Amino acid sequence: MALSITNLSKQYNHQKTALSSFTININKGILGLLGPNGAGKSTLMKLIATISKPTTGTLLLDGTDIVQHPDAIRKVLGYLPQDFGVYPNLNAYEFLEYIAAMKGVGGKGLRKRIDILLEGVNLTADAKRPIGTYSGGMKQRIGIAQALLNDPKVLIFDEPTVGLDPEERMRFRQLIADLAQDCVIILSSHIVSDIETIADEVAIMQGGKLITKGYQQDIIKQADGRIFETFLDNAALTEFKGRYKVIDTARQNDRIKTRYISTQAAAAPSSAPIKATLEDAYLFLTQNNA
Amino acid sequence: MPYIYNIIKADYLQRTRSYSFLITLAITVYAAYSFVPPDTANYTTLSASGYRGVYNSAWVGYVFAIMTTVMLSFCGFLLVNSGIKKDIDTEVGLIIATTPISNFKYLLCKQLSNYLVLITIAGCTFSVSLVLFFIRGEGHPFIISDFILPYLFFAVPALFMVAALAVVAEVFLGKRSILQYIIYFFLFGIAMSAITQSGKNTTGAFDPFGLSLVTKSITAQINTQFHESVKNVSFGFIFNGHRKYKPFVWAGISWSAVFVFSRVLWMAFGLGLVYCASLFFHRFDFKQASAKKKTKPAKQPTEANKLTINPAGITREAMPPLVFNYGISPFIKTELLLLVRQGNKWLWLLNAGLWVAMFIAPLTIAYSYLLPILLFLQVTRWSDLVTKEKNNRVHYFAYASYKPLLRMLPAQILAGVTLALALALPVIMRNALLLNGAAILNIINGCVLIVLLAATLGILSGGKKLFEVVFFMLTYAVINKLDITDYLGSMPHSSVYLVVVLSINTALLGAGFMVRNYQVKHL
Repeated sequence: MALSITNLSKQYNHQKTALSSFTININKGILGLLGPNGAGKSTLMKLIATISKPTTGTLLLDGTDIVQHPDAIRKVLGYLPQDFGVYPNLNAYEFLEYIAAMKGVGGKGLRKRIDILLEGVNLTADAKRPIGTYSGGMKQRIGIAQALLNDPKVLIFDEPTVGLDPEERMRFRQLIADLAQDCVIILSSHIVSDIETIADEVAIMQGGKLITKGYQQDIIKQADGRIFETFLDNAALTEFKGRYKVIDTARQNDRIKTRYISTQAAAAPSSAPIKATLEDAYLFLTQNNA
Repeated sequence: MPYIYNIIKADYLQRTRSYSFLITLAITVYAAYSFVPPDTANYTTLSASGYRGVYNSAWVGYVFAIMTTVMLSFCGFLLVNSGIKKDIDTEVGLIIATTPISNFKYLLCKQLSNYLVLITIAGCTFSVSLVLFFIRGEGHPFIISDFILPYLFFAVPALFMVAALAVVAEVFLGKRSILQYIIYFFLFGIAMSAITQSGKNTTGAFDPFGLSLVTKSITAQINTQFHESVKNVSFGFIFNGHRKYKPFVWAGISWSAVFVFSRVLWMAFGLGLVYCASLFFHRFDFKQASAKKKTKPAKQPTEANKLTINPAGITREAMPPLVFNYGISPFIKTELLLLVRQGNKWLWLLNAGLWVAMFIAPLTIAYSYLLPILLFLQVTRWSDLVTKEKNNRVHYFAYASYKPLLRMLPAQILAGVTLALALALPVIMRNALLLNGAAILNIINGCVLIVLLAATLGILSGGKKLFEVVFFMLTYAVINKLDITDYLGSMPHSSVYLVVVLSINTALLGAGFMVRNYQVKHL
């Protein structure tokens, strides 16, 4: 299963272009989408989920145009939107049965399927309570369960770790790593560490355009030799921030350890080059393309 | 007070910058255009036993002011009675609760923004009145005060009161919108009866709308000029075929200081009600509000201190084989469940009482009054039918599902019709026993009409209000035996009637599907 996206554009009005000539091929495995707010991540996910139509461009799933034939992907799609809701008067069983009806999943095994999913997201004990009484994390887990109801071959998770506590986040990562073996998984997050620990490939977006896509180590390489560390005093830091993109600061005794990006080849005096991380590379690339 | 101005402005802009408000204004302009009908029309809006004023400034100006006051007071309550609810739903209320604004000032802001919304709509009808005077003009001089003063002394104070009542209802009855509608329905009826009551109230001071002055002035003039003994003036949309009315010249009323002062007092009374309500306002602290009512502690989530996601638990191998079922019966089942669970449980007691009463009461009462009332009591269920996905933000799932247009929307409509027919069952059964097939067909058609109206207006406007207002007015008209609105066919009609309702249903169905087809692809 593979998604092929070519010259995809989405224009909401004359002023706002959410996606511009976006081209990417997505194969089995986990693709992490990174980008600042307004980069077009959610728009791209909505277009793939066929709930929005592109202004121009093509979206092919194994060669089938899903703009023209949205049901081709809908049969195999699991989608967790960023800002989804639930019917508060239904309990978890009833809600998942409803979503199953939407996805066209039925038969005698449906109840067992729901049981397994509820067990997997640890909601069995609360499954008969109205979802309106659930906490934010529990609602997010019911969202994850609904996405998996139809054994999806394409899974889209838009900011899936929002509302999950650190332990839930770790378990979620394990869960989708297991599922990724025969699935296309597209995952967006503001939390670079989530993407770093889970994604096979990373795509960085900005202003509706694709800046880069590749394996993490290849992306990190693009920032090699650009990340430095230096020690500054308080007074110098403000002036320093005007010249360099400061990534992180930490106080050490009376000095401030400052991690920064140098877009020029030459770094500030008394600086030492350090090994870049995905977050460094992300910040370097988005700043360079701003 | 500049911050109060900013709050009112923001609230007003939030309400009016919506597609549904634009539709409301369009309907207002359309309705206002019919307030002063041409001579060829088969209805009138203000007449007294066959007399009708010539279309001079006074008649056109007063008719517009009266119609605006009555119609907007009637449906305006439904349009604006969700200002606080919006703050609860969006959770903006939680932010408001932490600010220094007092309960009274917050509710006052809500009342004033309610008022501005209503005044904006009244402003629309006022503009139409000026245009229509020249369109329908019969060559009489244009006197601007005949247009401004009745709006100022009838519509402006009455709408202020409506805005206040909407706030009070939200504070005391919260989400019990049906109860709000029922109580308002009765209050409106009382206010209307004050217009026609004669007796000591010669100044019109005790009449909330103040319209009794007009009815008295018109009847007095007709009785003096034509030696008649006319007692009442009818207003609203009065369908009398192409009846010829006897014209007379009416120059309006003179405004007494007592009457003007009474309008100010009514407005002050509205403010007083808002102040009283502020003493009981929950300030978005629902746990405290519910704790006062319940002694039983609320059930806590049981998730604490236990495993959350269990990744080992979800494996494809453990799952039973995937079986596809693209039928709509599971949808219908859940849609029915959602319909039944929507709203307060206590309402089902009232529903059950009316349902049983429809077996016992004389058939004409059951058919003409109890059935339309019972159907109206479900107004929030119908209005929720196709708007709940967006309101609950489930539309992302719904629109990304397999063939949502051909599976989900039909299921919602079928579930709605099923419930409507179940509610109408006593009247259907009694007509079946009388072998009255036409009545059964009319009831089925009427039930389908209400569900399709709810679905289509919900899809078009994206909200519930438009349908709720339309259904409220429709029910009021049906109960008042306005035969053109008799959607259940309880009055005698020609054979064309069934075809007309069927055509409306088909048009509604087509429009609903077309717009939803666009919506599912353009989130």
